[in-house]
Amino acid sequence: MSLANIFEEYPERRYIMFGGKGGLGKTTFSAATAYHLAKSGHRVLVFSVDPQASLSDIFERDIFGKGPVEIVPNLFAQEIDADQHIRAYQDEIRQKILDMYGMEEVPEEIESYIQAAAAEPAMEESAIFDQVVDIVVAAEYDYYIYDLVPLGHALYYLSMASVYDEWIDKITDLREEMEEYSKVASLIQRDKELEEDMILQELLDIKYRINTSSSILTDKEKTAFFFVIIPEEMALIDTLKAADLFAKYDVPLSGYVVNRVIPPGLAQQNIPEYLRNRLKMQEGHLARIDELFGEQVLAQIPEFERDVTGLPMIEKMAEAMFGSITEPTTAPSKSVEGANP
Amino acid sequence: MIKRIEAMIEKSVRALREVIYGMTVYDWVHELEKARNEQERLFTLIIFGDLLGVPILPPYHMLRLVPYLVPSFESWRRSMLRERDFTDLIDQEIG
Ligand SMILES: Nc1ncnc2c1ncn2[C@@H]1O[C@H](COP(=O)(O)OP(=O)(O)OP(=O)(O)O)[C@@H](O)[C@H]1O
Ligand SMILES: [Mg+2]
Repeated sequence: MSLANIFEEYPERRYIMFGGKGGLGKTTFSAATAYHLAKSGHRVLVFSVDPQASLSDIFERDIFGKGPVEIVPNLFAQEIDADQHIRAYQDEIRQKILDMYGMEEVPEEIESYIQAAAAEPAMEESAIFDQVVDIVVAAEYDYYIYDLVPLGHALYYLSMASVYDEWIDKITDLREEMEEYSKVASLIQRDKELEEDMILQELLDIKYRINTSSSILTDKEKTAFFFVIIPEEMALIDTLKAADLFAKYDVPLSGYVVNRVIPPGLAQQNIPEYLRNRLKMQEGHLARIDELFGEQVLAQIPEFERDVTGLPMIEKMAEAMFGSITEPTTAPSKSVEGANP
Repeated sequence: MIKRIEAMIEKSVRALREVIYGMTVYDWVHELEKARNEQERLFTLIIFGDLLGVPILPPYHMLRLVPYLVPSFESWRRSMLRERDFTDLIDQEIG
């Protein structure tokens, strides 16, 4: 099975992710995949969930905080500005307090709470994942490609999502019980109007949002998750550990892509000794990869002569990943039914 | 907890009937309100828990609840200062 086959055979897998250790090629593959799908006639959004986003670098265009930017027809790229999002969100909350209580200014204690909360370490990630909910729920694209953060962070998010999920459940339950008390009380008093529990409504909405963003990561039908590996000892060991962890969180793994393979054909040429050595070691690692992952390896991508930035290099990368596009689809891209997360 | 709530509701319904036999509602309402306030306090603790150094929920989402809790914030802080062990309270209430 090749990478191209996966996309043909599973067109319903519309959330695409490349996971892997830092610097192995996640952003590169995300951009190239987006490019390939767009060229094949699909409407694609590639977006970064990394506060240290690098899509601007690869597309050689400043897209940070600018919403979806069309790079080539049908290919949109977006880098979420988490800080800006958090600031707007804080303002919304302040305004709500002022409106609700007809206050002139937010009480000091509350204000300092709002500020302190914004400085929490997980704040940026939460803000980005929350934006992702709006993006996917809007269902404006055929494919959503997540430019993921290095493994550790993604795992952290997944684990937090499941913890939060539990907490939210407990709190929602508690709130529902509280509503029961009120109901009974108002039943007894008769005259007292029971006001709608706004907090409960908010909680249910929060629960929905957390579920939406985390459930996509583990949706076997709609999500394709690829591991990026390189033929090196350490990378392999780490990948095995990570694959284990991801399996624990039920992330549906679609396969592995091996990046930065030095073309073995080079051995026939007059090459420096160190390169010959590397080739030999690589041979061992590739054999090991085959042994470990076998059929699950979907593509081997050569080491290019330079960094992959700019459209011509992205195109080259897309060809290395998917082969050249033989029949450019002329049919207008149409959204595959709603995203219904 | 659920059991307690069920018992509570059952009790309350029974209370309703007893009202007919001339019992005063005030005691029951008072009981219920007391129970509810207790929960309100626990709830606020969970939301603002990280002020006590226990990050309990994603602060990002919890911020959305802050506007609703402005009124209870002050009274909660006062009552919390009287509480001896918060973690005990959590364990016992929702553990
Ligand atoms: N096959 C390749 N040949 C040459 N350079 C490559 C290849 N694949 C990736 N690169 C380069 O390696 C660098 C790291 O790649 P990339 O940014 O895609 O990794 P990443 O996994 O997204 O990193 P991070 O974890 O930091 O987000 C980039 O400069 C990219 O251009
Ligand atoms: Mg990257």
